Amino acid sequence: MIRPEEIKMSAEETGKWGMVMDQDICTGCQACVVACAMENNITFVGEEDSGYGRSMHWIRIERFWEGEYPEVKMTPNQPMLCQQCGSATCEPVCPAFATVHSQAEQLNLQVYNRCVGTRYCANNCPYQVRSFNWRDYERPEPLSNQFNPDVTVRRRGVMEKCTFCIQRIHKAQDKAKSEGREVVDGEFTTACAQACPASAITFGRVDDPESLVSQLAKKRGHGIKHLEELGTLPNVTYFKGG
Amino acid sequence: MTDNFSRRDFLKLAGVGAATSAILTGCGPASRYVKREPYMEMPEYTYNGLSTYYATTCRECAAGCGLVVRTSQGRAIKTEGNANHPLNLGKTCARGQATLHGLYNPDRVTDPIQRKRGNASATAVDWDSATQTVADALKNNKPSEIAFLLGTTSDHLFDLVADLSAQTGINPPVRFGALSMFESRATLAKAAENLFGESGMPFFDLGGAQAVFSFGANFLETWLSPVSYTRGFAGLREALTKKRGTLVQFESRMSSTAGKADEWIPLVPGTEALVALAIGRLALELRGGPLPRAFSDIDPKSAASKSGIKLETLERYAEMFANSAGVLAIPGGAALGQTNGLAVAEAVLTLNAVADNFGKPGGVFFSPLAPNQAMYQRSASVKEMQDFTKKLADGKIKVLFVHGVNPVFELPAALEFKKALEGVEQVISFSTFPDETALESDYVFPDHHSLESWGYQRVATGSNQSALSGSQPVVSPFYNTRATADVLIAAAQLAGGKFAAALPFKDEVEFLQSKIAPLMSQSGGFFSAADLPTFMAYFQQYGGWWQTADSRTVPNTADIFNRSLKAPEAEFAGEGEFFFMPFVSPTLAEAGANKPWLQELPDPTTTVMWNTWVEINPETAHELGLEDDDVVKIISEAGELELPVYRYPAIRPDTIAIPFGQGHTAYGRYAEGRGANPTDLLGGHFNEAGDLAFAGMKVKIEKTGRKQPLSRLESLMGVYGVGLGEEH
Repeated sequence: MIRPEEIKMSAEETGKWGMVMDQDICTGCQACVVACAMENNITFVGEEDSGYGRSMHWIRIERFWEGEYPEVKMTPNQPMLCQQCGSATCEPVCPAFATVHSQAEQLNLQVYNRCVGTRYCANNCPYQVRSFNWRDYERPEPLSNQFNPDVTVRRRGVMEKCTFCIQRIHKAQDKAKSEGREVVDGEFTTACAQACPASAITFGRVDDPESLVSQLAKKRGHGIKHLEELGTLPNVTYFKGG
Repeated sequence: MTDNFSRRDFLKLAGVGAATSAILTGCGPASRYVKREPYMEMPEYTYNGLSTYYATTCRECAAGCGLVVRTSQGRAIKTEGNANHPLNLGKTCARGQATLHGLYNPDRVTDPIQRKRGNASATAVDWDSATQTVADALKNNKPSEIAFLLGTTSDHLFDLVADLSAQTGINPPVRFGALSMFESRATLAKAAENLFGESGMPFFDLGGAQAVFSFGANFLETWLSPVSYTRGFAGLREALTKKRGTLVQFESRMSSTAGKADEWIPLVPGTEALVALAIGRLALELRGGPLPRAFSDIDPKSAASKSGIKLETLERYAEMFANSAGVLAIPGGAALGQTNGLAVAEAVLTLNAVADNFGKPGGVFFSPLAPNQAMYQRSASVKEMQDFTKKLADGKIKVLFVHGVNPVFELPAALEFKKALEGVEQVISFSTFPDETALESDYVFPDHHSLESWGYQRVATGSNQSALSGSQPVVSPFYNTRATADVLIAAAQLAGGKFAAALPFKDEVEFLQSKIAPLMSQSGGFFSAADLPTFMAYFQQYGGWWQTADSRTVPNTADIFNRSLKAPEAEFAGEGEFFFMPFVSPTLAEAGANKPWLQELPDPTTTVMWNTWVEINPETAHELGLEDDDVVKIISEAGELELPVYRYPAIRPDTIAIPFGQGHTAYGRYAEGRGANPTDLLGGHFNEAGDLAFAGMKVKIEKTGRKQPLSRLESLMGVYGVGLGEEH
């Protein structure tokens, strides 16, 4: 097994986007889930398919139970999404190079028109955050009017997952470039973070010590990264709080 | 401004903001402010890849959160919160996000229609004859035989009908919504009136508190103003600049609000008032001095044994009330929806006097009235709806207009609203969607979807600032629908006489301007303008008008300790061994079931999607021989329902709970025939304030022997260790 400290980022790998989740204030309200679906043209699959675990949520809120009545407790709600691993287990298993690592954004990409649907990546993802289009799900007209023109509509046989709203990243970068400046922290955010009524989700540059995510991570302390022991170098930090 | 302003001057005036954009898309009446020019340069919305953003107001519930909707080439793409808006500060809930699935829902009412009641098929009529039908209905009936039933959103329409009623003698409009029923708003208002001598909507400053004791208030789900209370909760928990605040929740079933609490206290239903009074008395005893009258009758020991809470626990809480600042008690939800609900509300509000938090950070205030509001108005209690329903059944109403509410689905079965409609000669619905009430109407004259509509909504609570939230069309109407205000204005003109005199407006926008114009002379607004067109442009651009100062008021608590507070026993109607606890689905609420992405949201506590379930404690289920997904029959005094079991680890063994939101018999393909509606079990018992005692019932459970698998996000393995046997 590769130990985390053995995995080093190469020097030119800057521009890392990351996220901080405050589980102490996440209320599990699901606003992020719908916001994500609306932003990223995610399809709904219906009762039967969702019962088989084929729902396409790119972000989900996990909660577990501890103890038994009356001493029962709900664990802090845990928003789970693609951790945009620095050393992702999904990437090396793709025979079609559809699941690749982007040097520019330091994200795990999913190239839909390369994907041939082997589902190896989902099988190898320890966070279980990839969803597969098992069918061409019906979205009766005029629902398609709502589609975000910045995001591809996927069809049957293609794997998909959270992209950290890469279309928003690019839009902000293009705008900054045209104005001859750098992207400012907080200038844009992902759909989930923008909607979150509790502001439990914060998105930004983790390689910039001045950014809000870095500041939050520093001030709160005791942040955890899920399944860090697998050496995946996730870019999402969780605070349990309490 | 109509003639001497060119489009380009207008742009300069209002900036490239929401207001101007709405005008350029040519959405309805606003376009008359602008001289149309040939497309020498294409309007901004036709540039490929360039989005335009419009500020408007969410109408998925009555809270009145501000939205900014991203549109692209005339289509609404994404709703976001309006960052300037004092209520939601740029945030939205799941229902606000899914409002686009209402706009582009495949099952909207596309044209004005006429139908035989109860018959799904209908014939389309044109808008001229529709307007004539409304005019005839107004003209040919006695004013006392005309009634309007309106929803809790669209305050401007309520104002319009209220004006019409005041000047023509037709019945004043009645407002109702299932959410206000489950929030027990009338009880809250009545308790405030009894204690403080004035009626109003209390405001609870969660963000400034150090400890919050919630008696059944599910403020993180649907209660009053969930987005702003969620922000308050985040403030309570904030631990960087202050000590992390505590939340204690008293309720018989762990709601998703209680799931966030540090302590969840599953007390015996109906004993909330006893607990509140006992904590108050213990706290006052700790402080010493004479006991005030309000707390002199309560015996903490018997309160502890009746509620099933240990006396030490109550003493621990009392110490917090006695010794710390920023302790807050909130009454709400099912605690008030019981026969002794008013006593609960009074006891819990009085507990705040023990903490001495009125008007202080982390305490209780009155919410500011909206800028164009003279006094607090609440929606009808279910008791008032019962009287209204009786009037319908007795044939005292000849014409009923329904807008923004679905009473056939939302009212308790015991009220028999659907049957009462038989007593009404003509039912005219203005529903955007083919809901149950529209199906039982003679005509449906569909209103635009909220994102295609003008209007305003008063922010009733949740904001420090007095705010009027504005709506404007963000897209052109998708179907052959028409604004209900426009239909009523046109019909009133056709009817002539006092009707025409009551609504002397060219259209809805002119009416809105007449209501918004008085704000120009009010001081303290965050913008002002010298002339009405400019003021209106800003109003649209920013999504409303609000005052910059904190205008909450402090309740008068001079006499609060001198009232004698009683804690009467709660009565439970019906036979059966289980307390019945209906609750509003946090994701669907009253009108979300027709939006497919809301259906596919896992419930925050059970993770069930697309269906209704009954929550039973695993121990109880074991004793009854029930497994997950076993279909059971729930029998109350008012009706029965069949639905699958979900073994819920955080509910009292003597209580069962069912979410409200599903069980539609109409309302489009995603809602119809799915799940069950717990209002079918609700009887007609009320508390002293006239709110429904929806949690004051007992029910029986019968096995059916059938199974119906529930679709859920969680794996069975994770919850009950199913499958963790030998193979693991």
